Amino acid sequence: MSVDKNKINIKKLKSPFLGMSDVEIEFGSVEEDWDEPMGPTPKPSMTDLREWDMKLLERYRPFYTPVCDMCCLCSFGKCDLTHGKKGACGIDVKTQQARMIALEVCIGTAAHGAHARHMLEHQIERKGRDFPIDMGLNIATEAPITRTVVGIKPKTLGDFEEALEYAEEQLQHVMGSLHTGNEGSYLDFESKAMHAGMLDNLVKEVGDLAQIVGYDFNRGDPEAPLVDIGMGTIDKTKPVILTIGHNVAGGAEIVSYTEEHGKADDIEICGICCTSHDLTRRTPRGKIIGPLSMQTRFIRSGAADVIVLDEQCVRTDLLEEAAKVKAPLLATNDKACHGLKDRTKDPVNDIINDLVSGKEKAVLVFDPVKVGEIAVRVAEAVAPTRQKFKVIPSKEELVAEAKRCVECEECQRACPVNLHISEAMALAAKGKLEKLSELRDLCVGCVRCESACPKGIPVLSLLEKAAEKKLKEEKSKIRTGRGPILDTEIRNVGPPIVFGEIPGVLALAGCSNYPNGAKEVAEIAEEFIKRNYIVTSSGCAAMGMAQYKDENGETLFEKYPGDFDSGCLTNVGSCLSNAHILGAAIKIPAIFARRNLRGNFEEIADYILNRVGAVGLVWGTYSQKALAISTGLNRWGIPVILGPSGSKYRRLYMGRKDQEKDWEIFNARTGDRVTVDPTPGHLTYVAESKEECIVAIARLVMRPNDTVKGRMIKLAHYIDLHKKYMGKGPDDLHLYIRTEADIPMNVKDETKKMLKKMKWKEKIIPDPTLVERLVWKKEAKE
Amino acid sequence: MNPHATSWVRTQESGPKKSMVVLPDAASRIIKKAKKPTLVIGSKINDIDGLLDRVIALQKAGVEIVATGHSVKFLLEKGSDAYVIGVVEATNMLTDPNWKGIDGKGQPDLLMVMGVHLDLTNQTFSTLKNFTDLESMCIDRYYMPNATYSFPNITDDIHLEYLDDIIGKLQA
Ligand code: SF4
Ligand code: SF4
Ligand code: SF4
Repeated sequence: MSVDKNKINIKKLKSPFLGMSDVEIEFGSVEEDWDEPMGPTPKPSMTDLREWDMKLLERYRPFYTPVCDMCCLCSFGKCDLTHGKKGACGIDVKTQQARMIALEVCIGTAAHGAHARHMLEHQIERKGRDFPIDMGLNIATEAPITRTVVGIKPKTLGDFEEALEYAEEQLQHVMGSLHTGNEGSYLDFESKAMHAGMLDNLVKEVGDLAQIVGYDFNRGDPEAPLVDIGMGTIDKTKPVILTIGHNVAGGAEIVSYTEEHGKADDIEICGICCTSHDLTRRTPRGKIIGPLSMQTRFIRSGAADVIVLDEQCVRTDLLEEAAKVKAPLLATNDKACHGLKDRTKDPVNDIINDLVSGKEKAVLVFDPVKVGEIAVRVAEAVAPTRQKFKVIPSKEELVAEAKRCVECEECQRACPVNLHISEAMALAAKGKLEKLSELRDLCVGCVRCESACPKGIPVLSLLEKAAEKKLKEEKSKIRTGRGPILDTEIRNVGPPIVFGEIPGVLALAGCSNYPNGAKEVAEIAEEFIKRNYIVTSSGCAAMGMAQYKDENGETLFEKYPGDFDSGCLTNVGSCLSNAHILGAAIKIPAIFARRNLRGNFEEIADYILNRVGAVGLVWGTYSQKALAISTGLNRWGIPVILGPSGSKYRRLYMGRKDQEKDWEIFNARTGDRVTVDPTPGHLTYVAESKEECIVAIARLVMRPNDTVKGRMIKLAHYIDLHKKYMGKGPDDLHLYIRTEADIPMNVKDETKKMLKKMKWKEKIIPDPTLVERLVWKKEAKE
Repeated sequence: MNPHATSWVRTQESGPKKSMVVLPDAASRIIKKAKKPTLVIGSKINDIDGLLDRVIALQKAGVEIVATGHSVKFLLEKGSDAYVIGVVEATNMLTDPNWKGIDGKGQPDLLMVMGVHLDLTNQTFSTLKNFTDLESMCIDRYYMPNATYSFPNITDDIHLEYLDDIIGKLQA
């Protein structure tokens, strides 16, 4: 097969139902002016896509693991809902779980939505409503989610207002349904959660595109520069400004101020969590400390002279932590005012004087431009006196603290990863710090251990001290967020993805509270990169991977190209940017299969579910945003695997491969109802270990549309990975073999024997769809 | 309050209905009484020396073993084997009263869990507690509040002793 920019030439394609040779398929090129007809669901209401959701939920039934058997949402409560009991309002435990899920998704969506709203308004203020959404020559499908959901093709920043207004209005409806005595069906709550999740995808796209064009961020360049990541990358001889959060408006103005005042090389600007991704998209001089787990430990290290907080996933006790190390703090976002007085309208010099003199430990300033100036001038002023004051103990102090430990294990019982801290304390009391240092690699930085300790031992600080040597060497490279996937890349990989010949797309996202450290994320990613899957990443997951180097001292970002192609690793950027990974999945039907996007959600989701072998992985789960992202992806037909703590989100969507009738679909070619192989097997799944996760990914990338060649490739990886990580081959292989031609060559004989024993019957490889109206009507009648 | 009856993870209690604490004596009686006692093991089964040997001994004593996570690898290395399934997949099946069981010969009437990630263990029990009538028992070293029965919080050494005690009683 040969592929060029606008067409592919298929020399020979053979499947049991379709044979073709020397066929040339031309792809749609996106017009200058949008003449695409409007699909059936522009700006879908809360119930417009309910039928689609119910189709998904019929196959992927919600599976609940209640974290709480009670409800305390109104003053009738608490109501005990255990095992069939009902609350005073009549609700049962299943419906209550679904209600909580919908609520959490709304919280996640609102966080991204408010961020996007703020960013859009900020960019409109900077650039004007008519500022063009120009994504460059290689991106014509500039906003695939917006096109599909809202039905508009945004040309200017101002056009995005319509998308956000729609999302804000819909979110209010979903929130309304959560009131006591509204929705009474768990399935409907799930449909509403999916609606809110889809809105989350939309607002993220708007927010990221607004900042890309407004700040002139990278527009999809696979060769986005490599930048520094890690605590050891900070030049402590300079004044250091630390930004924490997700909204880069303040951080970007800090960069601008240093550039405009000739101080770009004099001030060290770094960040934690997604705001740092966006900081490095603004300037490659920006440095990334790491994911959200780094907040307390980096502040305690004393390296930061000024701390700038914005929003989302920022710890709520950082005022206290900043005060401990005498670092002035600026809160900059209306979502996180921290009880501080609003000083936005005060003269900059007054605010600076108050912070430098110590009259105020922290201030609230909403104007990003003022934040830029204040942060830089305060950092310069306090750095010489602060002398990087830290609260990490000396070795002697560490040993003395460890000696106070009574080995009560309360810290371990509070630790989300069940670290055996008291054992390490006992060793540390004898001066042996290795065990504490090892635990630091697994610690997710939540500081619950310190709250739990009856002796008031600063456990986290002790871990930091024990690992001090390693931390100095914590220096590595990450590729800066590239933003969207290019249309040209989609033209290249669309056909092999849809035919299954690129075995899958793995999208890594989520938070940093991993069950066994961030290293596992890198290991999972590399397993699939080496096998020629497309691997993409964003947010804390990208940072987690970048913290690990191989024996040659290289991270995955240094080893593998940043293209959206097989055997490559992409970093799209922050949480907002992960909308572009979904965007890439949407662009496949648009560019390769010429499906209309405009207001055409159901058809596009149906295409993705049945044809695009993409799987999301959220190995560290904690935030409501991660749940919103995942639930949104599910509505588009993309399965997501969660790490073990994801079971505390309390709901998965799971298929039953043993129930044949669940896998009935329409053959779009004939209109017949046919049973297909159980793919993709689940929409949300929790894997317990890295090994199980890898095998689950290989299984969940299969799609009913895979050609025999594609399925053969996918099965070869599935069998191989199963053998490698489980010690033996899979026992459900027969379910995924539709025709003998699917069987990988190296296991052909043994598999055929097995199939014969099982009385296996060949299955049809249809043109799969869940949506009856998408059956090719003309042919169906014939 | 009996300190052994508080969940190991301090905040794991999810409602008024909590596991009854059992010691090896009662645990072995419960297992003996069950027609199809089943033990779900997870990826942490190999973290403590000797645990896997006890699993194999339980298997020999008639307990059905279901290997979740990647735990089957450890069993194979010891010359044993088991049904392989994800823990959430298995639990999902158990919420369906019509499910024929992993071997097609019926569902377990007692489900035990050991060596599974702590959050997942308690969440598994939560599903069983709320959506099935199945009896469940945590035979890990931590008290898990959502099961029907659970060992108290014990040390690794005592845990092995408890398991030996049960194995002895099942063999008797
Ligand atoms: S919302 Fe319903 S279940 Fe919850 S506390 Fe109120 S009455 Fe009880
Ligand atoms: S800070 Fe680290 S050691 Fe302490 S409870 Fe959290 S994860 Fe465990
Ligand atoms: S809680 Fe404090 S005293 Fe108890 S084991 Fe942990 S560090 Fe030691």
